[in-house]
Amino acid sequence: MMSSQLKGMNIAGMGVVFTGGRGLASLDTSLRQGFAPPQMSKSTALKGSIPAYRVPEHILKDKSVLKGFRRADRFCRMAVLAAWDAVQDSGVIFEAGSSSLGIIMASALGPHSTTFGFLDNVIDYGDNNVSPKLFSHSVHNTATFYIAKVLDSRGPCTTLTQFAFSFHEALIAAEAWLAEGRCDYVLVGGVDETHTVMEHISAQKLRIANDGRIRQFDFSETPIAAPGEGAVFFLVTRQPTDKPHCRFASASTFDTKEIAKRPDIRMVDADGMAGSESPYRGLDWRDVYAAGYSPIFGSTMIGTGFHCAAAALMLKGQLRYACPIKDNPHGLRLCERTEPASIERIECVRFNCLGKKASVVLTR
Amino acid sequence: MNGIDDNRLKETRAKLKELLVTGLELEDVTPDEIADDEALFGEGLGLDSLDAVEIVVILERHFGLKIKDMSTGRKAFQSIDTLAKYVCDNTPSKED
Repeated sequence: MMSSQLKGMNIAGMGVVFTGGRGLASLDTSLRQGFAPPQMSKSTALKGSIPAYRVPEHILKDKSVLKGFRRADRFCRMAVLAAWDAVQDSGVIFEAGSSSLGIIMASALGPHSTTFGFLDNVIDYGDNNVSPKLFSHSVHNTATFYIAKVLDSRGPCTTLTQFAFSFHEALIAAEAWLAEGRCDYVLVGGVDETHTVMEHISAQKLRIANDGRIRQFDFSETPIAAPGEGAVFFLVTRQPTDKPHCRFASASTFDTKEIAKRPDIRMVDADGMAGSESPYRGLDWRDVYAAGYSPIFGSTMIGTGFHCAAAALMLKGQLRYACPIKDNPHGLRLCERTEPASIERIECVRFNCLGKKASVVLTR
Repeated sequence: MNGIDDNRLKETRAKLKELLVTGLELEDVTPDEIADDEALFGEGLGLDSLDAVEIVVILERHFGLKIKDMSTGRKAFQSIDTLAKYVCDNTPSKED
């Protein structure tokens, strides 16, 4: 079991890139607007189309940030933009070559379009004739290199992958780095992409929500998914900050206990990606608002990261966003409307395919 | 022209420019904007060592040419002109 009871990390800044756009204003707008159906993505693997919440290409061409990034693939571009925006949002200025900033990125599948492109090259052209660009970009940690490059950071950086719990593990590692004094700030986040391989996995292993309506409160044994992608980063620190969004109070994985203090809102990361969602039924739902915003960014293993970003906006703005899909067969107390609210504590919960739980708690 | 047909050289230059722009994912430059004698590395087109290895792969895939040693590569990779001459010198023409 991995778990941590954090002393707490202030969220000094946030950045997001998702199907609805880039930046916190775009996320707030999408959360207020509610459900928007995904585009149908043509799938070469499936010889058909699949609904996918893809990040629009034009967002990934910001040359003010991505100057000299011609080789960077979509995965790296999403990561860099979200990480860059998190630092800009914080207002913290890092000296060139500073080692006070650590970078921890979570990803379930990494840059798999590039990784499989590299493998295709081996098959098509032989191992002596593989594109060096594909080779150099096929490893998971390439994105953190680009982030460190654009921020001119010399601090530690790593990429963690733990499938459904990657983002949670990244938070736990970030807390450890801060506790050890390895750095004063950590840029911690998650990135995942949709592509042929993800579409194949979705079609073969998952049930697809052809209308894009991910039903997060069905808690079905055979849930439905609509693949999504994007990047979300948080600049966290133990140091006092001028205007923190809120705090990460705790993060845990493979934990069976309910958290000690009951949350005001529980966000469920039930997005059809991890098999049966029946374990969500066993949570204590008394006097707790239920929320889920996966239809805003799509089904993704790093969905908890996006839910944490939504939670941070809710805690800072003291408002509840209406759930985009309100199907509620278990009679939960759903966030039905976008409205002002007094919120102290939000829990984001995710179960993996083995029915094991991970959670993140954010407080004001 | 050392026996190389002008038209063939011209066609090879054009093909190489196209391959470099797409294969190296060059930004803000079109094939037409690359001068025949423009330096590929350093001050010219600004390519780097990873691009050099990518060009080796491009030559093998599209022309069946293997660059086996550094000195050959260094001479051939100076500009589109030198690259096109290297390709034409080492591959059979359509007439051959």
